[in-house]
Formats: sequence, structure tokens, C-alpha cells
Amino acid sequence: MPKVGVYICHCGENIAGAVNIEEVKKFAEKLPDVVVVRDYLFMCSDPGQELIKEDIRKGLVDRVVVAACTPRTHEPIFRRACEEAGLNKYFFEMVNIRDQCSWAHWHEKEKATEKAKQLIAAGVAKARLLEPLEDRYVELNKDVLVIGGGIAGIFASLDLANAGFKVYLVEKSPSIGGNMAKLDKTFPTNDCSACILTPLMVEVANHPNIELITYAEVESVEGTVGNFRVKVRKKQTYVDWNKCTGCGACLNVCPPKARVPDEFNEGLSLRGAIYIPFPQAVPKKAVIDPEACVSCSGRWFGEEPRKTKDGKPILAPCERVCPTGACSRDEPRDPNGELIELNVGAIIVATGYRVMDKKNFKEFSPDSPNVITALQMERLISATGPTEGKLIVPSDIPKYLEWKKRVEKGQEAELDVRKPKVITFVSCVGSRDERYHTYCSKVCCMYMLKQAMLLKEKYPDLDIYIFFIDVRTPGKDFDEYYMRCRQLGVKIIKGKVGGVQRLPDERLLVRGFDADLGKPVEVVSDIVVLATAIEPNLDLRDLARKLGINIGAEGFLKERHTKLYPVDTMTEGIFICGCAQGPKDIPDSVAQAKAAAASAMSLLAPGKMKVEPLISEVNEEKCTGCGICVPLCPYGAIELVEKNGRRVSHINEAKCKGCGVCTAACPSKAITLHGFTFEQVLAQIRTLAKGGVVE
Amino acid sequence: MIEGVPSVLNLTEIAEREKEEFGKRVYEVIKELGAERITFCMQCGACASICPLARVGFEWFNKKLIKALLLGLKEELLDDPTPWACVACNRCTEVCPRDVSPFEVMFAMRRLMVEEFAIPTLAIEALRSLYEHGHAVYMTGREARKKVGLPEKPPSTDSDEKALEDLRKILKETKLASLGLIPME
Repeated sequence: MPKVGVYICHCGENIAGAVNIEEVKKFAEKLPDVVVVRDYLFMCSDPGQELIKEDIRKGLVDRVVVAACTPRTHEPIFRRACEEAGLNKYFFEMVNIRDQCSWAHWHEKEKATEKAKQLIAAGVAKARLLEPLEDRYVELNKDVLVIGGGIAGIFASLDLANAGFKVYLVEKSPSIGGNMAKLDKTFPTNDCSACILTPLMVEVANHPNIELITYAEVESVEGTVGNFRVKVRKKQTYVDWNKCTGCGACLNVCPPKARVPDEFNEGLSLRGAIYIPFPQAVPKKAVIDPEACVSCSGRWFGEEPRKTKDGKPILAPCERVCPTGACSRDEPRDPNGELIELNVGAIIVATGYRVMDKKNFKEFSPDSPNVITALQMERLISATGPTEGKLIVPSDIPKYLEWKKRVEKGQEAELDVRKPKVITFVSCVGSRDERYHTYCSKVCCMYMLKQAMLLKEKYPDLDIYIFFIDVRTPGKDFDEYYMRCRQLGVKIIKGKVGGVQRLPDERLLVRGFDADLGKPVEVVSDIVVLATAIEPNLDLRDLARKLGINIGAEGFLKERHTKLYPVDTMTEGIFICGCAQGPKDIPDSVAQAKAAAASAMSLLAPGKMKVEPLISEVNEEKCTGCGICVPLCPYGAIELVEKNGRRVSHINEAKCKGCGVCTAACPSKAITLHGFTFEQVLAQIRTLAKGGVVE
Repeated sequence: MIEGVPSVLNLTEIAEREKEEFGKRVYEVIKELGAERITFCMQCGACASICPLARVGFEWFNKKLIKALLLGLKEELLDDPTPWACVACNRCTEVCPRDVSPFEVMFAMRRLMVEEFAIPTLAIEALRSLYEHGHAVYMTGREARKKVGLPEKPPSTDSDEKALEDLRKILKETKLASLGLIPME
């Protein structure tokens, strides 16, 4: 006969405040096979656990029922206590009389007490039928895939690589660096972005434990924790990267008709079809954008070149100037690139974000070149930007570039561009807005203050207005930006801008409201900077589907638990960090990246992983091979196999998560879910149906 | 003279006027007149919550006055009587989380108004009284004092020739003398 011990937790007042513990105790003592009933203020505390251990050690009990809070957080704690006292830890059953009883029925104390009794009776009914189970171990591959080469992906990779783990870093664009590479200065402390980022990019490229795979995207993911098989498509570069030295000779010869908006300069300038993303790119290699290339020589890759009258082949300009032959069009190139397969034990997703396009906001005259996003402002004031950091109105950038071209050719030219006198910032564009994104993008207040401060310090005569809904500067060393701006005379106005009107002279009439004075205000601005929202990358949903991880309501990757497991996902072995998880600044992204790396390390370092035995098993004699279970399994863990000449279901232990769908669906009851057998679950249900009477 | 604050503020015009007419920002002028920390104000409103002027309905109480000055308003505020109503209770100074001393802004505004000769008649009367008697508020009830056997003048600066002389000396050293608002012989 089993000897059941029932341990009732008060959870301070959380349970005892609604449930009459004494009454429940007296009830539990009368249940069949129950030999001990104890209660304690906090059963999960050290002395609480000791009560249970003591009873096991003395041989008083051999089945343990704890009536307390949620198994989600506390089941592992009590199981460990059983194990430490020498009892198989699966001889433990948890009854939740807090979340589903005392909290839910706080104002109906008698009914709550009655419900607690019935739940405990059901728990006891199941505990009598528990079986001992053994943990299993699976081997883990210790290599890690990091997806995304922005600041988060870079730090996650470096931390893992420095700890001795092999890292594959896959980046979508031709260079790592991400959005941070586009920034001029970074808050807090105004470090120059390139100065602190570029050395890290180089370190990644040179690290013996990091295999950098840029211009590539994840195509499919199979397998589970410890053994993921990932297919990665390396996009066609149309330039031989083994030969390309990044000299840049090809960049200038690409003709004007092949020029398209430059991604790195956020469209403020044009780049050629053949391009290196930016001067500090890592790897510094050119690629050809096939959409933009106009095949000036009249041939595509692998085609015969046209000949001049005297029989010489006509080469494309890029091909002609390339000193190493990297741009040669002699060989055909597969537009689909190359598919490679990686085997890794864990995956870190650090794919970052994109800034919302200004085109969405008709009320702010997005067609005006002088209405720009804050990221465009970063490019405008950056030394690597379209104007080398010279502050001019964006509508005059073409004039500037023309002037630069002439000067470079040694021609005389006069620079006739307008310098802004008034700049207006508009906050919460697309953030905190039911029409777009309801969340706060978190970094906008700070970057607006940062830009205003940098501008005002450099150009004291500039009039700068910042229109806010609320100023949010909650971070170490952040609020001093706000106070510094006020002291510099930046005009900070509480009230969001409702409209921006384009004036004939390319200036802009900004209509706002000053909530402090209670009056509408107007500003004629040379530049209007929109703090557009941080939003999930367009392909994030698709990537999440491939990885089998969740997306939250806002469209960002969902963590397993906001507070306790912030970089884990519901899929074991896949971690998330940076802005793919939600808007955040550089310090937070780096902190999360390091957390994700550490989480991956603690998972992989032992080389093997304990797996709970609470999974389904097929009784092959009962199985009729009907196959109903196969498509139902959400984890793809079931397949039909031939055994002794007949078809039966087989469950892959490594993939099974113990959800029980197959167990419930099997028409011949051939599948057992360990820890939740038919007998155990039915005993619980019968007890509840009979108002707490254990048969 | 502009008649009060318009219903829509054209901040560009105001800023241009700041530069062209004064050569500096209005808040810089106010800083020089004694409200040194005006730019530290973050418009939290603590000062307005306890300001007696705000409570009785004066329009340009501390918080609003500070914001208007920061935006560059000046002419528009000169006709407003609020600063002269400030009772200098200094509760705003006590509660201000940024050490702005809104009271100092009120008084800096008074100084600015005096410089612009934008002073209500009552205030001029008070200044005259201060110069003549040593009291900003004119003392009445002299007959009553005599009736109950008290000296006509109270035992203050008013009845102390030496003290009154000293006070006048001080006042003559102030900006008030150069403005010629009240006769100081």
C-alpha cells in the first residue's frame, strides 16, 4: 500500500487568506492511504522542504502531494527535495490551490476551502497510482548558430567563441554591423558608433572560433535542442569573394542608370549596382545587386562577350577596372546562390529591427525631402554620411553630391546649399499609436535629445524644437541628456505634432500644441525629424515559423517568460536577444546578447542534457497503425514504421514534448503518456466528479 | 505694444524677434535678472499646485510664466498683472525638484517689467510710498493711532529719520533711480 504524505502550503496569506487550512487538513487526514498531513507558512522554503524530506527519510511516506502554488515554477523544487531524500522524484504530485483556487475565489472563502479539499483529494487519488520514472540524457552538439550580425549578434558570437564554442554567424546583408553601424554617436556618453563598433566587427572576422557567413539567410531548421540541422542559403554575390580585395575600384564606374537608393545612407544618396555597403564593412567585399545591374556590356554572367570591330571583347566597366578579376563575367553564376547545411546544438536569434517608413504618415508631408526619419538624421550628421557630416537641408544633397563630383574631378565649383536654421523633432511617430504600434519604441526620446544636443552644441544659433507626448529617459546617465538640452535652450514642448505642411521653398510649417500654455503653436522648419517607430523586420514572422518560436502581439519574438526567462523561447535551445525581441537601446541589446550567450553556454557546456521522462510511448501490440496520431503531433515526433511485418507508430523520444495530443486521440488507447496515464488521470476526474471521494 | 498672448503662437516669429530685437534669448535676459536656473525647469507643475496666484485664477502663474519665457514670449506678457500679485510666500521654491526657484522668475519678470516701464499704477504708488515712508503699503489709520494714545507714525523706518535716510540712500543706488519712475530728490 502506498503511504501518501500531504503537505499544505499557506503561501503567506496567498492561500491561507481564502482557504481554511485547518479544515482542509482534517479532511485530507481521512483520505485513503494518507498517512501524514502537514501545513507550513512557506512550504518551498528550506524548513518547509525539510518537513517533506524528514518524513521520506524516516520512511513515513513514499508518495508526496504538495498543495501549494503552480507547478510551472515550483514543481522542480519539490521534485528535487524528494530526490534528495532518496525518493524517486516522479512519486510527487503537485496540487495548485493558489492560482486556481484561493486567488480565483478570494471573496468566497467557504467555497474556496471546499474546492481546495476536492483538488487535494484528486491529487491524492493520482498519487496512489504514480509510477517511478527515470530521467534520460541526450547528447548535445556544442556548436552554436547566431542569426544576425548587428551589435547583439556580434556580442553573442564573441562571448561564445571566447568561451571555446564554435559559432556560425549568419548575416543577411553583405556586411555585419547592423543598424548600429549607421549611427553617428551613441547614447549614453556619446561614443562615436564606428569607433566602438568597428573593432568588434574585425574581431568577429578574425576569431578562430567564428565562421562568418554574410549575405546569407536561414532557409530551414530541423531537429531539436542539441541537434539542429539548419539549411542556410548563401546569396549570389556575383563577385568572386576569394579574389575581391575590397579596393573599391568598381564602385565609381557603375553607371548612373544603375544607381539605386543607398541602404546604408537610408536612401539619402545613391549607390551603384555593384557596391560595398560602407567603407568599414566586414568583410569588405563587393556584391552586385542583380535587380539594379543594367549589364552595360550587354552580357550577363557566363554569356559570350560582344566584340569590338577589331575582335576585342567588350567588358563591363566593373569587370574592366577590377585589378584581381573578381568581377569577371566569364563564368555563369547560379542566381540561387549556394545552399549549405549546418549542425548546431543551439541557436541565438539576433535579427534586429527596422525603422518605420515615413511614407505611412501622410499628415507629416512625407514626400518632402526635408521630412526625414531620425535614422536619416544620423546619416546626415555622420562623417561617413552623404555629406561627410556637413549639416545641410536634405533637399540640397543632390546639389552637394554634384559639387563633390566636380571638385574630385579637379573642376572649379561653388557650393550653393542651404544650411538649416530651424529643426523640429516629432516624437512617437507610429509608436504609442493604436493605428500602428501600441508599444513605446523606448529609444526615440533619447536619440532625439542626443541629436538635439549634438546639433545645438555644434551650431548654437540653430533653433531646435522637440515635440513630445512624454519625455522618457529611464536609464543610467540618461536624464542628464534631457536636462542638458533644456540648458542649451532646446525648446521642448509637451504636445504631439498634428500636421506638417510643405511650403513652396521646401521649408515646412509644423503645427503643434503646447499643453503647458494650452495654445496651438506653429514653427517654420528647415528640417522635420520624425522619430518613427522601431518595428519588427518584415521577414521576422517567417523566420520564427522556420524556427518554431513564437511571435508576440506586437510582432516581435516572444520570450519564454518576461522576467525569469527573458532570452529563452518556448523552444528549448533557441535563444533571442536584441531588438528582435522588442525595442531596446544598445546597452540593453548587449546585455541581452551576453545573457543569450551565457544561456546557450550553460545549456551546451555539459555536452549532454537531461530530458524529463514525461513523454508518450506506443504499445506496439495494441497499435493498429492507423496513423491518426502522426499529423496531430505538433512537434513532428511521430512516424509510422515497419515492425515485424506490420505498420506501427513510433515516437521520437528526443522530439516528444509530452503534450498528450496523441494519447488522447489514439482510438485503441495504445499510447501512454508517462506521468499522466489513463488510470492516473481518470482517478483524478472520478474523485472530482464524486465531490472529493477517493475510491 | 502687443495686446496679450495671441491664440496661436508662431514660434518662428517669436524666435526671430528674440534674435533681432534683443540680440539674445528672453530666457537669457531673465537669467541675468536673477532667475539663474530657469532653464532647469521641466514643467512638472509642482510650483503651480501650491501657488496662491494659480489658485485664485491669475493667468500667468509660475509654471506658465516660465514656459512662456522659455519659448521667447515677452512683449505679450508685459501687461499682465500676475508678477505684481506674487506674495513671495516662496512655497514654490521649497517644492521645486529642479531648484529653479520659480519665485525668482516672478521677481525677475517684475524687474524686466520695470525696465520696460510696464508697471501698474498701484505698483508705482507702492514704490513711491517705499521711498517716502519705508513701507510699500501706505500706512493708514494715523487718526486712530492718535485716538488710542499711540504715536502717529509706527516705531518703524517711517518714524526713524536715520533709517529712512539710509533706505533712500540704498534706493538711489538701485536701478529704480535711473529709471526716474518716482521722484527721488
